[in-house]
Amino acid sequence: MTKAKKYWKGLAELNNDPIVEKLAQKEFVDEIPVNEFLGDSELDSSSTSRRDFLKFLGFTTAAATLAACEAPVNKVIPYVVKPEEINPGIANYYASTIYDGHDFASVLVKTREGRPIKIDANKSAVNARIQSSVLSLYDSARLRNPMKDSVESDWATVDSEISTQLEAISNKGGNIALLTSTIISPTTEKLIEDFSAKYGNVKHVQVDAVSYNGMLEANLSSFGLRALPTYSFDKANVIVSFGADFLGNWGNTDLESQWALGRKPEDGKMSKHYQIESTLTLSGSNADNRLQIKPSEQAGLLSNLYNALNGSTADSRIQKITTDLLNNKGKSLVVCNSNNPDVQLIVNAINDILGNYENTLTLSHPSYLKKGNDTDVATLISDMNAGNIDALITYNVNPSYSLVDSSDFNAGLAKVSLKVSTSLYMDETAINMDYVCPDNHNLESWGDANPSHGEFTLMQPTINPLFNGRQFQDSLLSWSGSNTKYYDYLKNYHSYDWEENLHNGYYSVICNEIPIFKWYLKSEWDTLVPSFQLIKSVGIEFEIAEKIAMGDGSQSNNPWLQELPDPLSRACWDNYLTMSATTARDLGVKNWNVSNGALNGSMVNITVGEKTLENVPVMIQPGQAKDTVSLAVGYGRTLSGKCGNEVGVNAYPLSNGGGATITLVEGTHEFAAVQLHHTMMGREIVKEASLSDYIKDNKSGNETVLYATHDGNKKASEVSLWDEFDHSTGHFWNMSIDLTLCTGCSSCVISCHAENNVPVVGKEEVRKSRDMHWLRIDRYFSSDMTRELSEEEKISAIQMYAEMEDPSENPEVVYQPVMCQHCNHAPCETVCPVAATSHGAEGQNHMAYNRCVGTRYCANNCPYKVRRFNWFQYSDNDKFDYNMNDDYGKMVLNPDVVVRSRGVIEKCSMCIQKIQEIKLDAKKSGTKVADKDAQTACSLACSTNAIVFGDSNDESHVISKLKDNSRKYDLLEHLNTAPSVFYQTKIRNKA
Amino acid sequence: MQKEAEIRDPLILGNKTYHDITKDISRPLEGKANKYWWILFSLSFVLFIWGVCSMAYTIGTGIGSWGLNKTVNWAWDITNFVWWIGIGHAGTLISAVLLLFRQKWRMSINRSAEAMTIFGVAQAALFPLIHMGRPWLAYWVFPIPNQFGSLWVNFNSPLLWDVFAISTYFSVSVVFWYIGLIPDFAMIRDRMSVKTAPMKKQLYSFLSFGWSGKAKHWQRFEEVSLVLAGLATPLVFSVHSIVSMDFATAVIPGWHTTIFPPYFVLGALFSGFAMVETLLIIVRKVVSLESYITIKHIEYMNVIILLTGSLVGTAYITELFMSWYSGVEFEQYAFLNRATGPYWWAYAIMMTCNVLTPQLYWFGFIRRSFLWTFILSIFVNIGMWFERFVIIVTSLHRDFLPSSWTMFSPSFIDIGIYLGTIGFFFVLFLLYARTFPVIAQAELKSILKSSGSEYKKKK
Repeated sequence: MTKAKKYWKGLAELNNDPIVEKLAQKEFVDEIPVNEFLGDSELDSSSTSRRDFLKFLGFTTAAATLAACEAPVNKVIPYVVKPEEINPGIANYYASTIYDGHDFASVLVKTREGRPIKIDANKSAVNARIQSSVLSLYDSARLRNPMKDSVESDWATVDSEISTQLEAISNKGGNIALLTSTIISPTTEKLIEDFSAKYGNVKHVQVDAVSYNGMLEANLSSFGLRALPTYSFDKANVIVSFGADFLGNWGNTDLESQWALGRKPEDGKMSKHYQIESTLTLSGSNADNRLQIKPSEQAGLLSNLYNALNGSTADSRIQKITTDLLNNKGKSLVVCNSNNPDVQLIVNAINDILGNYENTLTLSHPSYLKKGNDTDVATLISDMNAGNIDALITYNVNPSYSLVDSSDFNAGLAKVSLKVSTSLYMDETAINMDYVCPDNHNLESWGDANPSHGEFTLMQPTINPLFNGRQFQDSLLSWSGSNTKYYDYLKNYHSYDWEENLHNGYYSVICNEIPIFKWYLKSEWDTLVPSFQLIKSVGIEFEIAEKIAMGDGSQSNNPWLQELPDPLSRACWDNYLTMSATTARDLGVKNWNVSNGALNGSMVNITVGEKTLENVPVMIQPGQAKDTVSLAVGYGRTLSGKCGNEVGVNAYPLSNGGGATITLVEGTHEFAAVQLHHTMMGREIVKEASLSDYIKDNKSGNETVLYATHDGNKKASEVSLWDEFDHSTGHFWNMSIDLTLCTGCSSCVISCHAENNVPVVGKEEVRKSRDMHWLRIDRYFSSDMTRELSEEEKISAIQMYAEMEDPSENPEVVYQPVMCQHCNHAPCETVCPVAATSHGAEGQNHMAYNRCVGTRYCANNCPYKVRRFNWFQYSDNDKFDYNMNDDYGKMVLNPDVVVRSRGVIEKCSMCIQKIQEIKLDAKKSGTKVADKDAQTACSLACSTNAIVFGDSNDESHVISKLKDNSRKYDLLEHLNTAPSVFYQTKIRNKA
Repeated sequence: MQKEAEIRDPLILGNKTYHDITKDISRPLEGKANKYWWILFSLSFVLFIWGVCSMAYTIGTGIGSWGLNKTVNWAWDITNFVWWIGIGHAGTLISAVLLLFRQKWRMSINRSAEAMTIFGVAQAALFPLIHMGRPWLAYWVFPIPNQFGSLWVNFNSPLLWDVFAISTYFSVSVVFWYIGLIPDFAMIRDRMSVKTAPMKKQLYSFLSFGWSGKAKHWQRFEEVSLVLAGLATPLVFSVHSIVSMDFATAVIPGWHTTIFPPYFVLGALFSGFAMVETLLIIVRKVVSLESYITIKHIEYMNVIILLTGSLVGTAYITELFMSWYSGVEFEQYAFLNRATGPYWWAYAIMMTCNVLTPQLYWFGFIRRSFLWTFILSIFVNIGMWFERFVIIVTSLHRDFLPSSWTMFSPSFIDIGIYLGTIGFFFVLFLLYARTFPVIAQAELKSILKSSGSEYKKKK
C-alpha cells in the first residue's frame, strides 16, 4: 500500500494555521458592498419589487429569444407525424375530374408532398387547358375570403345575410334565379332541386359561353331529347364537317382520339375527312380536303347536300363529297358548328338519310356536356330588366364578360336586390355582385359528373383548399339550411362501391338505352330544306372562333396558356382578327416584320350589327376564306389577373356570322409569334404522300436518298466520320412521332411545361424570339410555288424562293412537333468547350445545367434549333412576374426537375427524371423495366398516340416496329445526326 | 551595313541624323500632349466608360440585354471578337513575316502595328468572356486540375482551340513586342535625368532589362528576334485558322466550309493592314512622325491590301460557286439568302468595301495619297466587320428549319459594348503613344545610311 501524497496550497496549510480554516468557511473575504450597490435611494422608492424584477427579466429574455428566431412561415416543415400515404420524393396519383363549365376530362392528378403538380389523362384525353388547370389552382389572383360589397368578410356573416335575404325574398314570393354553366354533376342538380324546394320560385338557367343551343334544340325536335349525340369518328369512312372543329374545341371532349383510330395508313384504311369552313381550324388543317366558304353559304350548302343525297344535282364544290357519302351509307358522319336549330335539323336529316344514326353517332347514349339554353338566358335577362328577379346566384359563369348582350345583363343586374357570385375570382361579373362566395378549384373539391348516359366520373380533392373558399355545393347546402356536408351527400349518392369507384375515378352504370323516336318526318324536312338556298353574299362576314389556348377565357390568368402559341398562327399572348391575304390587300391591311424579325400588324375597327370593336389587330391567316374574318373569344378580360388583363380584345359581344364593316385605323399592333416563316421553302422537312401512293408503294414520300461518294452511292448514315455509340445492350430510348396523327392540339406542349418547369417569359420576350418551349409544334403551310413549278416555268431561283415564302390562300397544313432530337451524332456535343452536354448510354443527349457556362455554341450548331438559353433569371425576378415569381405559383413546380438559372442552356431531356424513376422502381423490385410505364410527358399527353416513346431494344415494344416502319424517317437525314427521335411520314387521303 | 538599290525611294525623309531620330522618337514621351491627343483621348475614354457600363449591365442582368434570340445565338459579340482578332494579324505579319523576308520598310511601322495587335487581341479576348451566360465560371474553359470530379474540358470543341490559340498568340505577341522594345527603353532611360524624372528613370531602367548596348547584347537581341519571328510566323496563320474553325466545323450552311481557314487569314491580314493604316495616318500627324511614316510605307501596305482584298474577293466568289456546285439546297439557299435576303444590304456593304473599293489601289495616285488611303482603310475596316456579321448572322438567322427563322437587331447594350471596345482600344493606343517609343528606333537607325534621304542623295 502506497502512502497517499499530500500537496499543500501554502505553508499556512502545512503549518495548520487557523486562518486556513477561517478562510475556508468564508467565501468572500471582503464584505460584499450590497448597501453601496443598492445605496441609490431612488431604488428604495421604486415600486418594482423583486417579483417584478423577475417578471421583467423573464419577459426580456423571452422577447430576446423570440426576436432571435425567424418566423418559420416560409420554410419547409417536416411532418411531425408523417401521413401514411405520403412519402417525400414519391408521387401520389389520384383519379379525379376536371370540369370548369367548358372543358371536361376524367384525369389523373399527380401530387408530390401533398401538392398537385401535374394532370394526366385518366379515362378521357386531356387538352392543353385541362393540363393547365393545375396552375390555375395556384393562381394568387384567386379570392382569399368571401366578399361582401367587394370587401373581405367571413363565411358566417355572408351565409347568415344571404340566407336571411333569400328567406325574405321567398316569403314575399320573389323570384330567385340560378345562372350556372352546364351542370353535369347529378348531385349538384339534385342540390339545386333541394334549394328550389326550399325557396320555391327558383329558376335554374344554364348557359354555355360558347353556345350549342342550335344542336340541342334540333335534337329536341328530332328526337325529343335535348342532348348532344355521342360520336364514333373511328367508324366513319367519310367525315364531312361543316365548320365543326371536332379536333379542336368543338364538343369539348376527346373526339380526336376517335378520329385518330380511323387514320391508320398501315391498315390501308383511312377515313376521308372533308372540312367545309371559313376560318381555318385545327380540324380544317388536318382535313384531307378543305373547302372555303362564307358563313352565310353553310346552310345553303347543307340543303344542297341534302337534296343531292336525295337524287338531285349537287353543287360542283360538293359533288365528290356527295358521291363519297352515298358510297359509305352508315359509315359516314356529317357534323356542323351552326347554332341555328333549323340548320342542325338538316344535319340530322342528312345523317338520317345516310343511315348514320346508331352507327357513327347515337342519341340513345347521349352526351350531356352541353345543356345551355339561349332562350332561357334571354328570358332571364329580360326578367331581370323588368325587375322580376329578386335574387341572382351565379356559378361557373362570367356573364358580364361572355354574353353577347352583356350590357343588357349588367343593366338588369342593377335591378336585382340580392346578387351572389360564386366565382373564384373577383371577375367582371363578381365585381357587380353584393356577395362573392368563392368556390374552390376542382382540385380542392369533391364532386361528380355524368358526361354521357350511364357514365359517371368522380372528383376528389388533391389538396386542402389553399384559401378560405368553399365549394359551391357546400354553399348551396348551407343556404338551403342543411347541415349535411357535400362530401356525405356525394358519398350517399354514389354509395355503391364508393371506394373503388373513387380510386378509379369513373364508373359505368349499365342502364337501358334511351328509346329514341324520330319525331321529324321526311316530308317536314322537305319543307324545311328549301328555306335555305345557296346564296352568294357580298361583303365581309364575321365568325367567332375559339383558340386552343384560351377556350372560353375562364383561365385567362394562366401564364402557360397565354404563352401557348396558337397552332395555326403561332402567336401567343393575343387574339386578333384573322383575314385572308386578298381581303387584307383590299382593305389596305398589312403584316410585316420589324428589324428583329418580330411581327407587326395593322389595326382595324370592326362593326358587326350595331356593335363596334375598336383597334383590333389583324393577322393575315392563310386558309381564312376570302371576305371572311374571325376573332377568337377568351381575350380582352379586364378583371382576370395580372397575366390575363388587357390581353387582346373581347369578341363575345359580336354576334356570330353577321356581316362586318371593317375600317383601317392608324396604329400598329405588336404580335408575339414564335414562328415567323410559314412554308417549308421546298425542303423535305415534313415528308408526305397520298394514301393511294402509299398503298401502291409503302416507301412513297419517303424514298431512300443516296449520296454520291468515291465509293459509289451511299445512304447518309453510311458516310460517317463518327464512331457509333453502342446501343445494342441496355435500353435505347426512342421516340416516334407520327405526322399523320398529330393534330397540333398542343396538349403535349403544356404537359412538357408542367413536367419540366419550363419558364414563361412574357410577350415582349416572345417577340424577341426568346420563347423557352422545349417542345414546339412547327406548322407549315403549302405554297403555290414549288420546285417543280419553277423548273417547268423556268423561274429564277431568287424569284422561286421569294414566292415560296408566301403560303397558298387555301393551304395544306402540316404539324410537326419538334423537341431535342437526341442525336446519336450530336452536333451540340462536340462544340461545347466544357462538355456540359454529352451523350447518354441510353440514347439521350444530356445537358448538365450546372456545368454550362453559356457560350450558346451548342444552340447555334443545333440544326433543329431546339436548345433554349436562359437570357435572364426567369424565376424570382419581378421583371418576369409569372408563376415562378409567385409563392403560390411556385408550388406547381416539379421537384424532380431543377429550375434553371440565368446563363445556361436548357432543352428537352426526354423526361429523364421519369425514366430514372421507373428504372429505380424496377431495380428496387428486382424486375425488368416495364416498357409500358416508360412515358415522356409529351407521349403521355398525346391523345391521338402520335407520339410514342419506348425502348427500341425491346423487340416487343411498338417502338421497335415503328423504327422499322416504311414511313419512318429522320429529320434532316442528310446531316446524319442519327437522332433518337424519328418521324413517320404524313399520309393524306387526298382525292 | 545594308546595301540598297539607289532607285528605291528613301524610307526616312528629312535628312535625319541618328540623333534626330532619337529626338523625334522620344519627343512624345518627354513633352506634353497636344490638343489633338487630348481630344481623341477624351472621346475614346467616354466610349470606354460607356462600354464598361454596358458590360457591367450585361453581367448584372443577363445576355438578354443583347439582341440575340433562340435562333441567332451569336451576333455582334462574335463578330466583334473575330474582327478584333483579325485586326491584330497585320501586326504579327509585319513584325515576324516581314522580318524573315527582310523587308526593311517594316521598321517604321512594326512597333505600332504590334501594339495594335496586342490591344486588338485584348479587345477580342473580352468577347469570349462576356458573351458567356455565366462569365464568372469562365475559368472552366481552361484545363485546370479540379476537385469537381472527373470534369475536364472538351478537346473536340473549337472554342477550346480558340482558348489555346488566343492565349498563345497573345503571350507570344507580348514577348516579341517587349523584346523589341528593350533597346528603345534603354535609349529613353539614358535620356531621362535622375533629377527631373526620377520615377520615370527608374521605370524605364527596370523595363530596359539591364541593356547596355554591348555587342553581345545586340547579338542576342538579333537572335532572339529571329527565333521569336520564327515562332510568331505560324501563329499568323494558325490563330485565324482556328478562329475560322468555330464556324467551319459547325453544321450550319454558310459556316460549314473548308475554305474558311485561308479565307479568314487573308481577311485578317487585309483588315489588319487597313487598321494599321488608319492608326498610323493619325499617329504620324498627332506625334509628328511624318519623316518616318512616309507615303512609301503607305503605298507598300496598299499593295498588300490590294492583294489580300482581291484574294478575299476570290474567296467570296469561290464560296458562291461552291454552294451552287455542291447541289445542296441548304447551301444554295444560305448564299442566295446572303445576297438577296433581308440582310442583302450587309452583304452589299461587305462586297463593296472589301472587293470593289480596294481595287481603286490599282491607280497610283490613290495608292499614294494619304487622304484616299485613310478613307479606303476605314472602308476596309467597315467591310471586314460586315464580313463577319454576314457570316455569323445571315447563316444563323435562316438555317435548316424555316420554323426557326428570325432576324437579329442589336440592342443599345450591343452597340455600347462594341463602341466601348473601340474606345478602350484607342485609350490604350493613345496612352501607348505617350509612353512608349512608337517607332523601333534602334532598328530604324540600322537603315538610316542605306535608306535615309540624305544618304540616298549623296549616292
